[in-house]
Amino acid sequence: MAVSTPVLPAAMAGEPAGARRRVRPGRRVADRALKLVSAVFTAVGVFALGWILLMLLWRGFSALGPSVFTSITPGPGSAGGGLANAMVGSLVLTVLGIVVATPIGVLAGTYLGEYARVSKLASLVRFINDVLLSAPSILIGLFVYVLLVAPFGSYSGWAGGVALAIIAVPVIVRTTEDMLRLVPNGLREAAAALGAPQSKVITLVTWRAARSGIMTGIILATARIAGETAPLLFTALNNNFWFSPSLVGGVSNLPVTIYQFALSPYQNWQELAWAGALIITMTILGLSVVARFVIRKEVAR
Amino acid sequence: MNAVSSMVHLDRGGRPGTNEGAPARISVRNLDFYYGDFHSLKNITIDFKDRHVTALIGPSGCGKSTLLRCFNRIYSLYPDQRATGEILLDGRNILAPNVDVNELRSRVGMVFQKPTPFPMSIYDNVAFGVRLYEKLPKAEVDARVESALRRAALWDEVKDKLRQPGLGLSGGQQQRLCIARTVAQGPEVILFDEPTSALDPISTGKIEELIEHLRTEFTIVIVTHNMQQAARISQYTGFMYLGELVEFGATNNLFMNPVKKQTHDYVTGRFG
Repeated sequence: MAVSTPVLPAAMAGEPAGARRRVRPGRRVADRALKLVSAVFTAVGVFALGWILLMLLWRGFSALGPSVFTSITPGPGSAGGGLANAMVGSLVLTVLGIVVATPIGVLAGTYLGEYARVSKLASLVRFINDVLLSAPSILIGLFVYVLLVAPFGSYSGWAGGVALAIIAVPVIVRTTEDMLRLVPNGLREAAAALGAPQSKVITLVTWRAARSGIMTGIILATARIAGETAPLLFTALNNNFWFSPSLVGGVSNLPVTIYQFALSPYQNWQELAWAGALIITMTILGLSVVARFVIRKEVAR
Repeated sequence: MNAVSSMVHLDRGGRPGTNEGAPARISVRNLDFYYGDFHSLKNITIDFKDRHVTALIGPSGCGKSTLLRCFNRIYSLYPDQRATGEILLDGRNILAPNVDVNELRSRVGMVFQKPTPFPMSIYDNVAFGVRLYEKLPKAEVDARVESALRRAALWDEVKDKLRQPGLGLSGGQQQRLCIARTVAQGPEVILFDEPTSALDPISTGKIEELIEHLRTEFTIVIVTHNMQQAARISQYTGFMYLGELVEFGATNNLFMNPVKKQTHDYVTGRFG
C-alpha cells in the first residue's frame, strides 16, 4: 500500500489529501461520532453543575446579609434571624472531627504504606478502609448514636465530632498511604544506608517527602465532612440556640439547619437555607483551592 | 579462616577473590544470596583491601550490585532477601544475627545510582547522618558539614546557599551532596553503586576525581557498568557473571591479561 502511494512519508504528514485515502470512511465517522457524543455529555454535565451553581449564587446572595453572620437561627414563625450559631457550631464540629481523624488516619496510613506493605493484615485493613470510604454516612451516624448518644442520654457535639471523624479517617488513611507509596524507595534506602532506624526514616524523610500530599488529603477530608448532614442528624442534632461550651445537648450546625429550613414552610427559613448552602459551598471551594495550591507549591519546589 | 577458604576454592582453578600479602578490610567467605527462591550469588569469596578502590564489573544481572548491597545489609529492608556465608569487616562477621545493622550502616556508607537528596536543605542533608548518632554542639556540626562538603568538592558551589533545598542542585551536584552526606558520618568503607550512570561526562569526571581522593581515607568498592571507568579509578577489579565471581585481580592484570576466557570476552567487548 505504501509503495503504491507516490508520496514521501514526510510530505504525507503535512498533506491531509494523501492521508485521506488510507482511512476507511467508516472509521472516520465512528471517530467523529465518539467525539461528538463525548462533547454532548460533557455539556450535559457542565450544564447541570452550572445550573446548580448559578441557582445557588443567585438565591444565596440575595438571602445573604449582615444579619446572617450576626443573628442566631430564628424560631418557628419569628421573623429575620441568621446563621451565626450554626456556622460556629459547624466550625467546632468540623475542627473536632479533623483533630480526632488526623492522627488516626495519618498513622494508620503510615502503617499500611511503610510498615506492612505486603502483609495479609494490611490487605485486610486496606479492604475494610475502602468499604468504610463508601459506607452510607447515615449508618455511621446511627453507629455513633448507639455508642455515644444513647448511653449518655443526650445529643452532643462530641458525638457529632466523632461521627465526622469516622467519615474523615478512611479518606486520610487512603491519601496518606497513596502519597507514601509515591515516595521513591531509593529515598528510604538512602536514609537507611546512613544508619537511620525505620522510625527516623519515616519521620525525617518519607513523611517530609509526602508532606504536601498528606496535607492535601487532610484538607480534602475537611471539605468532605464540612458538608455532611446525615451523621449529624443522630449525634449533634441541631437547634436554634447557642450551644453550651461543654457541647452537651444539641449543637447547631449548617448542614442540618439547611436540611430543616429548606423543608420548612417559612419564607425566612428557606432564604437562610440558601444562604447557608452558599456559605458551605464557598467554604468547600476555598478548601479545594487551598489543597490545589499546596500541591502546586510542592511541584514548583 | 583464610586457609580453609582457600582450600575450598582451589577446585575452581586459581583462587578468585583472594589477594595475598595485603591486609583485607572486608573478607567475603562463601557468600550465597537469595531473592526468594532465586539463587543470585553463588559461593562468592573475595577480599577488599583497605584504602584501595575495588571495582566490580559484569553484565546486567550478574549480581555485582547484589554483592555490594550485602556489605551494609541494605537488602535486609526486604523480607524475602537473605544472605548466607560470612562477610568479615575487620574480622567480625556482619551477617551474624546479633549485628546492629544501623551501627553497621554508619560504618559502611553507600552512594546510589540515582542521586537521593532528602527533601530538606543542603545543610540538613549533610548533617542528617551526623545528627543520627551524635549530639554535637552547633559549631561542631557546622564544622563537620563544611569539612564533608569540601571533601566532596562541593563546598565552593554551595557555601552561600546552605539553607536552600538539596533538590535544587544539578544532578552532578546532588550526587556529590550524597557523597558529602556519607562522608560526614565518618564511615570506614564507602560503597558506590553505579554512581555516575545517571550523570553527564563532566560530572562523571568530577566524581571519579573525588573517588581518587577519597581512597586515601576509605576502603572503596564501586559497581560500574563502564569498563573504562573501572580501569581508570580502581586498583583491583572483580569480574562477575551469572552470580559467580569469575576472576579477581589487580585491575591492570584483569584488563590486559585475563586468565579466564569469559573475562577476556567481556573486557574486549565480545559480550555484555
